[in-house]
Amino acid sequence: MIWLAIRKNIAFRRARLVARGGFAVVAIASAVGCQHHVKLEEPPGDQIETTLFLIGDAGEPDPRQVGAPLDSLTALASVAPERTIIVFLGDNVYPGGIPAEGAAEWADARRRLEEQIRAIPPGVRGIFVPGNHDWANETAFGLYSIRLQERMIAALAQGKNVRLIPGNGCPGPVSVDVGRLRLVALDTQWWLHSFIVRDSSSHCAASTMATVTAALRSEVRAPGEGRVVLVAAHHPLMTGGAHGGYCGVSGPYRRFGGASQDILSSGNRTMRDSIRSAFKSNPPLAYVAGHDHTLQVLRGGPNVKYIIVSGAGSAGKTECAVRMRESYYVTQHRAGFMRVDIMKGKGVLLRVYRYPGTKHGALAYTRWLEPR
Amino acid sequence: MSSNRVACDAWPRGTRACPLLVMLTLAAPCVAHAQITVQLPIAAEEATPVGALPPMPLPMPASRDQSYWGLRLQVGQRNERSGPEDLFAIGAGIDYQLRGGSIFGLTGGYQKRQNCQSTTDCGHALFGARGRFNVFTGGPTVAAIIGDESATTTIGTEIGFGYAPSINAGVNACTIDVGLPLSVAMLQTVRVVTFVTPGAVWSVGCSSEETPSYRSFLIGFGFGIQQLGFRGLDVNFGAQRILRGATGLQFGVSVSWVRLP
Repeated sequence: MIWLAIRKNIAFRRARLVARGGFAVVAIASAVGCQHHVKLEEPPGDQIETTLFLIGDAGEPDPRQVGAPLDSLTALASVAPERTIIVFLGDNVYPGGIPAEGAAEWADARRRLEEQIRAIPPGVRGIFVPGNHDWANETAFGLYSIRLQERMIAALAQGKNVRLIPGNGCPGPVSVDVGRLRLVALDTQWWLHSFIVRDSSSHCAASTMATVTAALRSEVRAPGEGRVVLVAAHHPLMTGGAHGGYCGVSGPYRRFGGASQDILSSGNRTMRDSIRSAFKSNPPLAYVAGHDHTLQVLRGGPNVKYIIVSGAGSAGKTECAVRMRESYYVTQHRAGFMRVDIMKGKGVLLRVYRYPGTKHGALAYTRWLEPR
Repeated sequence: MSSNRVACDAWPRGTRACPLLVMLTLAAPCVAHAQITVQLPIAAEEATPVGALPPMPLPMPASRDQSYWGLRLQVGQRNERSGPEDLFAIGAGIDYQLRGGSIFGLTGGYQKRQNCQSTTDCGHALFGARGRFNVFTGGPTVAAIIGDESATTTIGTEIGFGYAPSINAGVNACTIDVGLPLSVAMLQTVRVVTFVTPGAVWSVGCSSEETPSYRSFLIGFGFGIQQLGFRGLDVNFGAQRILRGATGLQFGVSVSWVRLP
């Protein structure tokens, strides 16, 4: 009743504004906004070549709850497992990655990783990308923790095609080619880590910032016609979330470069500038990341067409995000993941699923990243 | 003495100040300054950009990677004032949004007395510089009541400097103002923003003739549309009242455009 009264009141006020004439433009725009229905694309399955699910920061599944987003991800990925890849975009184990065996936290860390690997249906390929929490939450044990995670993923896979890339604490890039898709994986925490990042057993193909940038420049130049290049890492190149200096009282501090994990810190800026410079001559279609616990689709600028933030993989960790001028879509305080369908021939469709959904379902937004 | 002053003087002593800010804003001004009377044809606050041009919301957030240039066109009208004429002003400005947040702008414009009988002294130029700082930019807050999860609330601060030469015979106007603007933007594609801009303005002497220096409080409010058709285009409708004397109500439109790469 109260809601009806409010709606009647709003309608009356809007009508009065229109009658006065001076603010007709606002009335029209607000009416358009209120009745805005996004057209959600659902292409036929036989036209899809490869399906990619992007879920980040999923390392805090609640053992007392079942449901979204991991269970929903499993259900959607099970439809066509032979053409499906699930990418976990880092922070796979909160809060401090995999500890040394025998530590009190070891069993809980294993449980967190196991829940995600269990969410990968048989036949579906699983890719884990390292995040800052996987590097022992940015501590000196980080390099060893990420190696332990790689080994634990291999042990838990039990015949599934699941792996952590880049592995062995190396920065990457590592490319995965599937049909038209080239997925380039990076370990961005390697750039930001303040402690040991290589030792005698590292054997990384690129082990300095300059060589990593050069290798990335080479990898985004995928051979062949009609290739779709997506770069996957944990840290975003742009975000309207807490790591971008928005949201909460710590925003002003973060804006002045308070922590390496935040966009405006000098180390983070160096990393982002290097990555963007590698994209300059061959801009990839999208750079996909997690880190901020939100779902954002952003306009990337001249060096990359889209920046996607899909870090809402843990329902208990969702956060605020602001809509920026570059934002195509933002949702905050909702768990979820994204899906990218690479169509046969031409076309790349992005879909955003958020939980809890609305009466229309969990699919909240679609966009053709590459037109059909 | 204006009719508003008479109305205020009729209040019992000690209760002259209206109890609520909203009443102060929407009703006739009731804050009387005993030692200052607005006898000048145009007060300094009305003549510089802070009072001549309509208020605007805090800038829409943008990428921390980029700093953007923008252009701005503003038209304002001040009515119901104690002076002999209504005031019409038009201004244009250039803005620089630094790393997605704070904005720094320069403004130039012209204010004209409407129905002016004089043949030589019916208008003056106006100039201003302004910094607007987004301090906290966050989630829906009050917009959560209507269930808009894409809403953004911005709280900030601003400081402005204004100058208008020869607003009256031999009198220049110089002002410094500070404010604490708040804005709430809602909806996903075309953004509807509502804002309020409380502040204070100091008129400081900058003429060869001795002119009174004084402080006034002001409040602006309004609504607008962000990303209207183009990602960088905003249109805002604002109104403002200077809580002092009978300076009337100023209202107007601002159109701003940010150049995105």
